[in-house]
Amino acid sequence: MEQNRKINWKDLGKRTAGTIAIPLLFFVVLFSICLGNGRMLISSSAGLISFLVSVTTITITTMALSINLNSGRFDFSLGSMSVLAMILSSKIVYPLLGGGAGSAILMLLFSVIIGTVLGLISGGIYCLLRIPPIITSLAITLIFEGISFTLTGGSYVMDEVRGSSMSFFFGQWWAILLLLAIAMAFVIFMFDHTSFGYRYQSLRTGQKLAVNQGIKEIPNALACYGICGGLMGIVGFLQAGITTSVNGGSLNFASIAIMFTAFLPMFIGGYIGRFSNDKLGYFLAGLSMGMLNAFFSTFHNEIDVSVQSIINAVLLVLFLIYLANEQKIIGWFKKLFSKKNHAPAEQN
Amino acid sequence: MKKLKNATLLLSALGCMTLASCGGGKGGTTAAPKIGVLVADVSGEEAQAFRTYMTEYVAKQYGATIEYTTALENAADEKSAIEDFAGRGFDAIISMSSSDRAAQLATCVQNKIYYTVGSGMLDDKVYETYKGNEYFLGQIGPSMQTEYEAGLAMGQYYKAKGVDHVGMYGAFIPNPMHVFRAAGVIVGLGDTYGEASEMGAIVGQIYADNGIQQAKIGGDVTVDYMAGFDPTTTYSTLGSIIGSGIDAFLSVGMATTFFSQNLNDAKIPYGDIDAFTSSNGTNMSSGSLNYLAGKYASSLGPVYALIANAKNGHSIRDAQGNAPSISQSYAVATSSEEFTALAAKESGDTRIFSKEVLDSMIGDSVTYDAFVEAVQKERI
Repeated sequence: MEQNRKINWKDLGKRTAGTIAIPLLFFVVLFSICLGNGRMLISSSAGLISFLVSVTTITITTMALSINLNSGRFDFSLGSMSVLAMILSSKIVYPLLGGGAGSAILMLLFSVIIGTVLGLISGGIYCLLRIPPIITSLAITLIFEGISFTLTGGSYVMDEVRGSSMSFFFGQWWAILLLLAIAMAFVIFMFDHTSFGYRYQSLRTGQKLAVNQGIKEIPNALACYGICGGLMGIVGFLQAGITTSVNGGSLNFASIAIMFTAFLPMFIGGYIGRFSNDKLGYFLAGLSMGMLNAFFSTFHNEIDVSVQSIINAVLLVLFLIYLANEQKIIGWFKKLFSKKNHAPAEQN
Repeated sequence: MKKLKNATLLLSALGCMTLASCGGGKGGTTAAPKIGVLVADVSGEEAQAFRTYMTEYVAKQYGATIEYTTALENAADEKSAIEDFAGRGFDAIISMSSSDRAAQLATCVQNKIYYTVGSGMLDDKVYETYKGNEYFLGQIGPSMQTEYEAGLAMGQYYKAKGVDHVGMYGAFIPNPMHVFRAAGVIVGLGDTYGEASEMGAIVGQIYADNGIQQAKIGGDVTVDYMAGFDPTTTYSTLGSIIGSGIDAFLSVGMATTFFSQNLNDAKIPYGDIDAFTSSNGTNMSSGSLNYLAGKYASSLGPVYALIANAKNGHSIRDAQGNAPSISQSYAVATSSEEFTALAAKESGDTRIFSKEVLDSMIGDSVTYDAFVEAVQKERI
């Protein structure tokens, strides 16, 4: 028993290093560049709020994307869900409270509920049609975007998502952190500590075997879509809060961009997850991307929006190259270091 | 045989009656045109105001068919939209999208569909090339000189207020109208760009730099510059600028859509070049917006008149046979009272370019000079 309890320090060290390496690398590199130029990564309270919203948005979007993608279901409709959920939520809550006290919390609540319903609709259509989700999700994206456009006449929803309540909520750093903590705790609980989560893992790793053992895949898939929708409802709320508007004019897959912000963090999070927990990995990846966004903001005059997109894309490609050739690259490094270590001995 | 003869006569008579009923009015046929509008922005306040005027006022008053595109992102989208309208038998295009206007015009000529510019102006070279073409009906809107002057006036307004340190939003530079407005703001503040203080030199440098480089802005008034829009970084940048203790925030477009809440909350006086919309009225009465240079929605009316005339076989042309190029100026409000007075002229069915005014600009008897005079007449 005592031997079982004994901590394997080497393994723990390896796991800790693997978990924090990437966010630490991002922090050291970005902070050094800022320091070298006499600037700060975050220089104002608004910058801090923006950073926290960025981390929360990316983390939650990444979790929502990965839930279905890890099961082989590519869902393009996440962005359109978040936009439509927030538009509907704001259209319901604003006439009731006029943007006054309590409207931010109520809008968040409605956005989550509506997002869940939209997720269930999306999942329901996939289960009903039984055609590849990559196709159904594209169609659903167009439908949700079309509904948003019709409801808003293509204009920005502004008055409904502004007001004292939203201003107060998005002025409190702890409120955003609390939202992130609740969302993460919910996802960790649901997928790591419930029978639903066990069935999900079972279906994910061996669908045929799991189905043969009596696990029903349709209810599980529907629940996954519902949870994704709810999470995207939070994202819609966060986006509306930080931009003080919702663009109802997104058509022709324009909303897909929201989903693409989660690609790089999903791969990074998956990699970090190998050393700890994948949800923690998504958070640390979101933290890294949040630091990168803060860095872009600090250097907004030197790095414009188009260059930022290129940097994001290059990072994604480099990371995928690394993942695809990981053993080879580690082998090269090992060889390099062993040569260096042997060199002095040979000289002696 | 007699029956056949009678039937032929009856058909001929019916044919004559049908032809006769097609005529009428001063200029022969009065059929309402079918118009396709190319737009890059479908969501902005200004774009919405234009759209409401065209689809809910002009279309209803004249029974015209006016159809808008979705947000066009590039020249290929614009070309495709024109071909689609032409294929569906539309008479004319109004261009409010400017990815590649030379290509738009060439596509219209190729597809034998009329072309007009309703926002911004053509490049001088393009205008010279097409001004005599039968399918190019003209351009009416703020010229680049007018855009520069709008920025200049806003810069001068805040300079006169005694600002030392301002935030500046360049919106979507290198969009030409934003480039010219930004150049005007810099000069209006009494600053220089790359040590230049003349419109042409500044604009040339901004295009060469593919944007504004803050380090090149020099002078007594310190400018914290930002441009573009990305929800993940823009608001953090805005927060830093607000936190740096600016006296005012000057925007060359879209700030009232993107940033009004943040600026109102921080009580930073701000100015924008946008439109006279209800939310801008609120920003002015209960927020900190204190300078608005705006187009009014019905300023698009004369472009409709150009198309209606052409459809009736009477294109408006100058003595040399060239299509008109007429500049319109901006209206400016610096107080809630001024805003209300201006907005009152443009609400619901009350329009500056009302049906009554437009009727006076449509018809065979309307000359080029009369048309230009009607467009440029002081109406605000």
